Amino acid sequence: MANTSGRAYGLTTLCPIINGVSSNKHAFSQSAGESHDKEIRRVLQSLPLNENSLFANTDNTYLARLFILNDVFFQQGNDYKRDQLKSKYLCFNSNFHGDLEPYLTSLWSNNESQVREIWQHCVAFEHVSNADDFVGYIKSCQVKTTLFFNGSNDEPVAKQLKALYVKQMFSEFVLTQQGKSGAEVKQAFKYFLQRVQLNDINSPSWKPGQTQIQLT
Amino acid sequence: MSNVAGKAYAMNVITPVPWWKAIWQRAAFAFVVAFPSNLKGLINLSLIHYARWTIIGRNSFPHLAPSQPKEDLNYSYMMFESNFNGSWDQYIDSFSFAIPTGLDLFWKYNIGYPKSIPLHDFYDYIRFNQVETDYFYNAYPCASSNDVKSATALFDNLKEFTEDCLGLEDDEFLVAYNKLLLENQSSLGSMDIGPAFTPSMIHQKELS
Repeated sequence: MANTSGRAYGLTTLCPIINGVSSNKHAFSQSAGESHDKEIRRVLQSLPLNENSLFANTDNTYLARLFILNDVFFQQGNDYKRDQLKSKYLCFNSNFHGDLEPYLTSLWSNNESQVREIWQHCVAFEHVSNADDFVGYIKSCQVKTTLFFNGSNDEPVAKQLKALYVKQMFSEFVLTQQGKSGAEVKQAFKYFLQRVQLNDINSPSWKPGQTQIQLT
Repeated sequence: MSNVAGKAYAMNVITPVPWWKAIWQRAAFAFVVAFPSNLKGLINLSLIHYARWTIIGRNSFPHLAPSQPKEDLNYSYMMFESNFNGSWDQYIDSFSFAIPTGLDLFWKYNIGYPKSIPLHDFYDYIRFNQVETDYFYNAYPCASSNDVKSATALFDNLKEFTEDCLGLEDDEFLVAYNKLLLENQSSLGSMDIGPAFTPSMIHQKELS
């Protein structure tokens, strides 16, 4: 079993969705409510993206996804027995740096309203009222990863983002220094160091999920 | 629905495995974990941030309350998830051409697996069994996996260079600086936003 690769953690969960119709009513719907899976999908499609994502607001998330498993597929014709799931599942799978408990605590603590909005349609989530409950809940939905492949690295996200910022800035710096003397390059490099602050991991840096690059 | 966030694509594929063959499948993965050299092909592909294979036993789907009906399944299932750079076609092509034996090792016990060659049967298999992602987040939409790795290496080397060389005389500093560039030239290069058609970029445009 391999949920981890170094300090990188691969979280795999299947959260069962309540069967039947939600009691939530919508202005656009004449019916009493929609199925819970449809409600979740609607919530997921309205969540802010990128730097405004709940995961940008959760410490050390590399990449994370949510999707609904409606059923299992079968394309093998009539030669095999067929399966059909009795529940639909919300799959929350994340790749992050560090340990599971502080990660899930951060997810809850920094995004409680959004977490509730998403998971309220899942079985037994009504018993979740604080961060510890949420950690326990997600663990009860966790499936152990069999093989976790890390094609990147397992550094903290803050270091990765700082390194990307420095890579971008230093690449631009190098272009401006071609053909200059040692004294000029050294002087300019000292100014470069003042701008990028190598020893301050948090600032200046890229923001988690940011989609545009500014050379500042 | 969004399988794309910046330069990363999120793939989910779930396929049935006879429960007794799932035991062999686990053994195959345990072998790979014990001897990581088997992952060399994947590492050389160099377009994956993180990927995982999860075997879900037919009795292992989470059951949280008496009100939830228990699953009654004939098969175990293997869930494959990948976060990679590039398009769907590029990824499947790369997999099929670069590590066909590795793919066959990972999927050989799955029902209906056609083998990774010929390519179009493999295309059909993945496409049929793929589940679309509803929400996808990427901490660095402007960067590829290689950018993250090279940036981290460059960052460490730049810190070391600063500590060791900032006190040198000007000419010596220039020699050391040029050496730094020579040794890190593969880590240099600008990054930018992902292709304009990606959902993240469209959303960004709407916000601006």
